[in-house]
Amino acid sequence: MKIARHFAYSFLFLVSFSTQSQTLEPYNGTPPSKTEMIALKNARIYVSPDRVIEKGTILIKDRRVFKVGPLFPIPKEALVLDYSGKTIIPGFIECNAPIDSPKTGRTPMQGQQSKNGAVGSYYWNTAIHPEFDLSQDYAFDEKKSKELKEKGFIVVGAYEANGIARGYSSVFALEKGQNNLLRENAVAHFSFSKGHSNQAYPSSLMGSIALLRQALYDAKWYDNAEDRENNLSLAALNKQLKGTILFEIREKQEILRAEKIAREFNLQFNYITSGDSYQLGDDLEQLKSTLVIPVKLPEAYETNDPYVAREIPLGELKHWEMAPCNMYLLSQKGITVALSSADLKAKDFWSSLQNIRSCGLTEGDILKALTETPAKLLGIEKDYGSLEKNMIANFVVYDENPFDKKAEVLECWTNGKQEIFKRPQTVDVRGTYNLIIDNEYLQLEISGSLEKPKGKLSKKTTPSPAPTKKRSLRSLRKKPIDELKQEISANCEISVNDRDLSIQFFSSDFKWKGSNSLHGKISTKLGVIEGDALLADGQWVKWSAVKSQKAAKEKKEKEEHPEVERQLNLSYPNMAYGFSSKPQQETVVIKNATLWTNEKDGIVSNGTVIIQNGKITFAGAGNYVVPRDATVYDAKGKHVTSGIIDEHSHIAIKRGVNEGTQAISAEVSIGDVVDPEDIDIYRQLSGGVTAAQLLHGSANPIGGQSALIKLKWGHNANEMLIPDADKFIKFALGENVKQTNWGDAFRNRFPQTRMGVEQVYYDAFSRARQYEEEKKKHPGSYRVDLELEALAEILNKKRFITCHSYIQSEINMLMKVADSMGFTLNTFTHILEGYKVADKMKKHGAGASTFSDWWAYKYEVNDAIPYNAALLNEMGIVTALNSDDAEMGRRLNQEAAKAVKYGGASEEDAWKMVTLNPAKLLHLDQRMGSLKAGKDGDIVLWSHNPLSIEARVEMTIVDGEILFDAKRDEKMRQEIALEKARIISLMKQAAEKGARTKIYTPKSKGHFHCNTLGEDASHEENQH
Amino acid sequence: MIKHISIILFSFFLSVQIVGQGNILLNHASVHVGNGEVVNDAVVGVVNGRIKFVRNALVYTIRKKEWDTIIDLKHQNLYPGFVAPSSTLGLTEIDAVRASNDFEEIGEFNPHIRALIAYNVESTVISTVRTNGVLLAQSSPRGGTISGSSSVMHLGGWNWEDAVAKKDDGIHINWPRSLKRERWGERTKKANKDYREQKAEIEAFFEAAKNYHESVSKQKTDLRFLAMQGLFTGKKRLYFHAHEIQQMLDIIEFSKKFGIKYPVIVGGYESYLIAERLRDAGIPVMIQRVHSLPMREDDPVDLPYRLPAILKEKGVLFCLQNEGDMEAMNARNIPFLAGTAHAYGLSQEEAIRAISLDACKIMGIDEDYGSIEQGKVATLFVSDGNALEMKENKVTMILMNGQFIDLNNHQLELYKKYRKKYGL
Repeated sequence: MKIARHFAYSFLFLVSFSTQSQTLEPYNGTPPSKTEMIALKNARIYVSPDRVIEKGTILIKDRRVFKVGPLFPIPKEALVLDYSGKTIIPGFIECNAPIDSPKTGRTPMQGQQSKNGAVGSYYWNTAIHPEFDLSQDYAFDEKKSKELKEKGFIVVGAYEANGIARGYSSVFALEKGQNNLLRENAVAHFSFSKGHSNQAYPSSLMGSIALLRQALYDAKWYDNAEDRENNLSLAALNKQLKGTILFEIREKQEILRAEKIAREFNLQFNYITSGDSYQLGDDLEQLKSTLVIPVKLPEAYETNDPYVAREIPLGELKHWEMAPCNMYLLSQKGITVALSSADLKAKDFWSSLQNIRSCGLTEGDILKALTETPAKLLGIEKDYGSLEKNMIANFVVYDENPFDKKAEVLECWTNGKQEIFKRPQTVDVRGTYNLIIDNEYLQLEISGSLEKPKGKLSKKTTPSPAPTKKRSLRSLRKKPIDELKQEISANCEISVNDRDLSIQFFSSDFKWKGSNSLHGKISTKLGVIEGDALLADGQWVKWSAVKSQKAAKEKKEKEEHPEVERQLNLSYPNMAYGFSSKPQQETVVIKNATLWTNEKDGIVSNGTVIIQNGKITFAGAGNYVVPRDATVYDAKGKHVTSGIIDEHSHIAIKRGVNEGTQAISAEVSIGDVVDPEDIDIYRQLSGGVTAAQLLHGSANPIGGQSALIKLKWGHNANEMLIPDADKFIKFALGENVKQTNWGDAFRNRFPQTRMGVEQVYYDAFSRARQYEEEKKKHPGSYRVDLELEALAEILNKKRFITCHSYIQSEINMLMKVADSMGFTLNTFTHILEGYKVADKMKKHGAGASTFSDWWAYKYEVNDAIPYNAALLNEMGIVTALNSDDAEMGRRLNQEAAKAVKYGGASEEDAWKMVTLNPAKLLHLDQRMGSLKAGKDGDIVLWSHNPLSIEARVEMTIVDGEILFDAKRDEKMRQEIALEKARIISLMKQAAEKGARTKIYTPKSKGHFHCNTLGEDASHEENQH
Repeated sequence: MIKHISIILFSFFLSVQIVGQGNILLNHASVHVGNGEVVNDAVVGVVNGRIKFVRNALVYTIRKKEWDTIIDLKHQNLYPGFVAPSSTLGLTEIDAVRASNDFEEIGEFNPHIRALIAYNVESTVISTVRTNGVLLAQSSPRGGTISGSSSVMHLGGWNWEDAVAKKDDGIHINWPRSLKRERWGERTKKANKDYREQKAEIEAFFEAAKNYHESVSKQKTDLRFLAMQGLFTGKKRLYFHAHEIQQMLDIIEFSKKFGIKYPVIVGGYESYLIAERLRDAGIPVMIQRVHSLPMREDDPVDLPYRLPAILKEKGVLFCLQNEGDMEAMNARNIPFLAGTAHAYGLSQEEAIRAISLDACKIMGIDEDYGSIEQGKVATLFVSDGNALEMKENKVTMILMNGQFIDLNNHQLELYKKYRKKYGL
């Protein structure tokens, strides 16, 4: 059977048609015969996204479409083939075909720091290898190629999914047995993932961003520099920037991150996306890129066990519901979309597409995204993407219209060359037959599918002697006579191959005990089958069968696409506790409250605060006018303060808080990786926090640049950044930077002692000075160095330092370094031994941001005391209390209260440690930190004295937007439960209708601390 | 007997008459009994280290001769010593310094490992914890499946023998998680995969231990099984560290199956979902650190704050504990965990009870500890303000086993030293 089929296939292949004309290769023997012109008629032809011919002809000559139309005279010389009932669709174009490294362009080397082991003139970091060219020594994988063709794809843009600057993709036509490169150096590929590079740097997303930016600056410089060494990477990069760029991103936020780079360097990126781009909502309106989106949709989860089902976050449920409409929602925003079948099995491809289409798209939209758009991206749109005249004959023939029904690929025509996938069975053998064999009259019933029929042989006989029991005899009598006859039957295996049929059955009831096999020829006109049989006893006999009844007409079932009641409402952000619309500023009057003004008036009872247009317009006990559109809150017995400012936070940071792979990483910036969908933002709001400094970690002496944000839940990352804020950077001292507690593997990076740390600083600032001089000397042609830029800003008092510190010796040292370089340390954070050098800090002019009572977590905090904050404050140092911890961050009011307990700070002073003082340390006190007309509308309404353990936040307002409201929160909890139940029941329905499901695996979200390394938050005990 | 003169340090607001230490009378105290009650103007008599009486000060006549020490507390608050259940206090000094860590032994089934003998009474961390009113700790080993045996210790004393309040009070078991989490370096694809297997392992161990316990002739000394015996006789508690609903359901069954007399849940993040079942099974909960973030993105932001009040309402016996990151040094914040529980639903006295009497009840030492009642050990402290309030917690006197305890510590000394340096 297997052999027979194989034979059929090769036979068909020999006579498959080709309209390709010339070949370069000398042929061994007489060259294969070819047909000049072929006409496929009577097919349904999708010519282009806008044009479908229900019954038409396509004429192919010299591998191109010569003519296509419903009715036209076919030239005499053309070979005409009847394609009735078949559907012809242009071959799809897959522009996202990542391949595993076929060969590494360069051999990377293991290493702590930065050695690139490559031989040759390449970029110093192996994650940047734009020169890599896939067209060399590479053939597209046959197995993958077959998978793609089963999905209807004939052309692919293949690229090596490795590194940040990944090199070029090549375009291949998937012609069987032939490597058909259509275009080399087609598209330049980029990403934010380091890939296989064994170099330590970069280890974080912000490091990847910085490295890419640096490489782009280097390329720019390389283009203009007069005296420089050859660098193949930079040369390639410069060339690439003039062509099409495809940027692969892991999740939607990265589009905005990459767009920032695109603006900086005036580039146009297109994106290979992750299927969640629709969640960017209005941010898409600015986007001019083409997005490559996956056809693959998120699978439903198994929801049978309620314990497991309740673990699934609303955000994931919502995504499951909305993801099929990704393309539709993007189109609504005017975005051009290409569809990619990456990671999708052929059997799921069309049902996924139908799902996508059902959101309100047309066949044309889908077709365009699979043909014209990717063709344009790959730069082959002149030849590929439709079946209009003169386009290359690249199409797929289906047995049915796959847009309507379950269809199978019969043929792929690649560059005018036919490849047969499957020849459909032409004869329908199904039905009921009267069969005679060896003088026995039997009934043969053939059912099942056209390709794989199954059969049953039966014979009616008289039953054997009557049963003994009267009772059962009586019951038998009641039955009709017919049923008294016993039936003997056997199932048979049947195979058909055009007009040949074979039947095999094993019988114990028939007179031939054992295995019997029959072979016959079908005569369709007469409905007769005749042939020979080999019976169980070894005899050959003749047999014949006559069709008595046709098989019930098989209904080729229409693909079922249940109308899903989808809700396409994005929330801001699209997860639990997201708002139904983007939060707006409100006019708010809070009266009868106790005001903690942090101003001369101190604590004012029976006061009023008014917020209008995002600003405080009134705060105090005097007379006021209620603005017309105001909502008035009576806060009798309650307290109002300005919002808490967390001077040291690591929430809302995506993929890595440390770029600790080098001793200096001043080039990286947390501002590039703010994550607006971190639930901890909302949690901090519930604790009255309105602004925070998101700091780089403390893994190296000179860390990265800070992000000063407002906790604007429901907004995007850029909207969270505080506009016009001063620039800050993280430094660090002590055990973390000398890698004391990282284990024995970390003994290589300089510095390993406090002595070394000092020299890192002197070296860094000396180089920054030289860089400044170089810039002045060669303003047009110097090489922009992002690391030194940041350091020079410090020297120029344009950037300010927050330094992680514990021990008095190193604190003293760093102040001496700063003094000698002519700048001031802005803030020492942690500063647990600050109380030992308070006088020196005062003299230098440094502020302090400390923990209330943490200690005993490592050796260098042995002398940490909870009296530190109060004592520093008493010494006249601007002192703040910070969290460095997502949990503590939401009860900084309690931490402030500890300054009263330990060291006896006044309540007003203690309160300033989490509001006004951090505002001062962040140079934001002109607009935040107190209740004063003109300042930002960042306030908190408390149920009690905020320093009391009983205090609960009732409302948190940021820039005049009510972002936390305890009552609304209560309501949201119920809404979340309802919404989850609604979507879970949709999931259940989908699963019942056969949708694939998977078991949910909870992702536990870690929290970043100072010394968290790598891109993932750790659950290890942290050391701060 | 040593006179703890250091009490004079804070004596500027106390009128202390130190005659001797034996019989101590605390007058005009606002007594927070620990059982939910308050006695406003009380006089408390301490004789031979035990509380002899708690009476109304207005009607009590002091006979000075009967008392070695009489202290007028001037209506300051008197509390029973607060308790830190499930803590590594005394077993660690500095988290990052390996030499100072003694709380995690290697091996999976370690019931025979005892925290007791590693307990460092002189820990500088301990001296900073008791000065906030925490006077007892259940010093507990960590790690493995069965971590070992804990002991309830005083936060002070000469040595571990002297400091122990209850030796080997229970065995700690880390119940395997029913839902595996995707975490750093460990990308688990399937939930539940090994859960049945791990449960079966624990069951097999308990079967064997029980068999050993019941067999008449114990041919061989088996340290593990010997340590387990107390679980079946009721001498030891079994502390199940677990959070998930599935785990707790299984623990209820497991405890019944093996006839565990005193099962306790430690953690119990989801206990509110099966509170009735826990109550009916008589399993108390040592609630996870109140100052924690919700475990799930979708969970209410204040769920950990409200958990004590929810369990209270549903009638589950519970107390608070502080297991987790930096737990030893953080034990000094236990009064404030109770404070937050109060802010989110418990009454003030219920909150106090959750870190005193009920903690002792769950650990089986409430006969002697946990409240200021007649007959109990005089382990108690005085706070000038509300001890559950950060800004008011000011411990002015500690009695431990009827002995005055030094209120000084390493941190206070440094504070004083540098104040002096700056002339403050």
